[in-house]
Amino acid sequence: MAQSQRPSSLFRNLSAKIAAIPMILTALVIFVGCTVWTVVYSFTKSRMLPKEDFVGLMQYERLWATKRWLVSVENIAIYGICSLILSLVIGFVLAALLDQKIRFENTFRTIFLYPYALSFIVTGLVWQWILNPTFGIQKVVRGWGFEDFTFDWLANTDYVIYAVLIAGLWQGTGLVMALMLAGLRGIDEDIWKASRVDGIPSWKTYLFIVIPMMRPVFVTTLVIIAAGIVKVYDLILAQTSGGPGIASEVPAKYVYDYMFRAGNLGQGFAASTMMLVTVLIILIPWVILEYGGKKNAS
Amino acid sequence: MARAVTNTRKTVNTVIAWSIGLLIFFPILWTILTSFKTEAQAINDPPLFLFFDWTLENYAAVQERSNYMRFLWNSIIIAGGSTLLGVIIAVPAAWSMAFVPSKRTKDILLWMLSTKMLPAVGVLYPIYLIFIQLGLLDTRVGLVVVLMLINMPIIVWMLYTYFREIPVEILEASRMDGASLRDEILYVLAPMALPGIASTVLLNFILAWNEAFWTLNLTAAKAAPLTAFIASYSSPEGLFFAKLSAASTMAIAPILLLGWFSQKQLVRGLTFGAVK
Repeated sequence: MAQSQRPSSLFRNLSAKIAAIPMILTALVIFVGCTVWTVVYSFTKSRMLPKEDFVGLMQYERLWATKRWLVSVENIAIYGICSLILSLVIGFVLAALLDQKIRFENTFRTIFLYPYALSFIVTGLVWQWILNPTFGIQKVVRGWGFEDFTFDWLANTDYVIYAVLIAGLWQGTGLVMALMLAGLRGIDEDIWKASRVDGIPSWKTYLFIVIPMMRPVFVTTLVIIAAGIVKVYDLILAQTSGGPGIASEVPAKYVYDYMFRAGNLGQGFAASTMMLVTVLIILIPWVILEYGGKKNAS
Repeated sequence: MARAVTNTRKTVNTVIAWSIGLLIFFPILWTILTSFKTEAQAINDPPLFLFFDWTLENYAAVQERSNYMRFLWNSIIIAGGSTLLGVIIAVPAAWSMAFVPSKRTKDILLWMLSTKMLPAVGVLYPIYLIFIQLGLLDTRVGLVVVLMLINMPIIVWMLYTYFREIPVEILEASRMDGASLRDEILYVLAPMALPGIASTVLLNFILAWNEAFWTLNLTAAKAAPLTAFIASYSSPEGLFFAKLSAASTMAIAPILLLGWFSQKQLVRGLTFGAVK
């Protein structure tokens, strides 16, 4: 950049740095400061109020001995893995099917994105009703004459998390599709022509040429889906409230209930620290892969 | 896409696409329809589609139980306020990152974005304590600040991607012509950046509007927005589907309308700028 020739360049650079400071500072204080605070107090015996009597790993031992926590961890793992894979696959397949000019395209996209524009609370309530065995799909299909039809995931402790998954997929898949569609549109037409001339079947073209080329889109999509998985608390709250029993509990709800309902802050802090550690374990290798590698290359 | 398609093929594609679209839209449509039924009609067997006695009684009942306008007003203030505040802080930051990048710019952006992945419950209690200390609990001001902070990484990131598309050469040319920093921002940068800012604003408004975790936990009665309004119908009224639908419809209507009239920005914004 030829900026150094101009006298104002120093000012410009400086003002640019200053412009970025408020944002960096707030992010630093809020996220890092508060997170560290929580981690520190997770080693204490705090109950109703935070207290500084440290008890080592006691809260963590208790945490991993609690059935409700184990159920929560299993649920978020199932939900996370399934929603990641399914929304990517369904989103991509739909996008590939629709990768042609469609009439009224903006309106069409808007409808696809509408679920994502709704609050998880609304999504949860609507799907609580649709999947309700007494009033929803099960009743409608039985009304058509299929008397033995059973679809009671919402009331079934083994499957309730998949009922939540359906609602989550409904909310997010349209968005994934829109992102993938944008990615597919960015692929040069000549690549399709070339692979057709070479007689490569189109599924192979997708798998070995198009998808690798869409890497940035996949990364963006992954980030958005992952942020959604961490946020699943709202959906659970509205759709199942963790029930039946504790069958659809998730870690975020465990933390919240222990902090504000059961008056056991230390336990809540320990649980949220475990969530943090999990996120870091998943995030750090990805960050190193994605950015560490590039830095060495350039 | 310039791939050779016949007209029939195009129509078939359109039909398939719209069928999937309708399937996705159906739960929303059904909720809206149900809100105009009586409770008995709402659980009628077989389900009634269009031919029922349209009624507004559910809306009246919901309005009687909880004052919709107050929740709506809170939602508008909180979502609008946090978006405005966020953009005011984020524009200079994103501008500096996009036009005067340093070695650390990428790292800072990535690091900021990664805070979006951290579990919100991890910072809930400290913020709750700060709120008590400052007397911000159940106030709109408090929520405006918190939601601004929560969505800040996304705002900065999106603005950064938009700003980066603006060619630096144009700025340099305007500087050559003797434009001051103020002129540069006002007459060169702003017109080119506005579409991006508009999409960012819309996305952030929707995210703040839908935010339930923070609004449910940091408000009680006074500052509660529409997410709290609809959540209050989840358990006690669980089986009154028509009223539940009416409440849901009232909660989502502003977003659906806003989205419908700004489709281009909505698509651009909600896809985080990926769709041009």
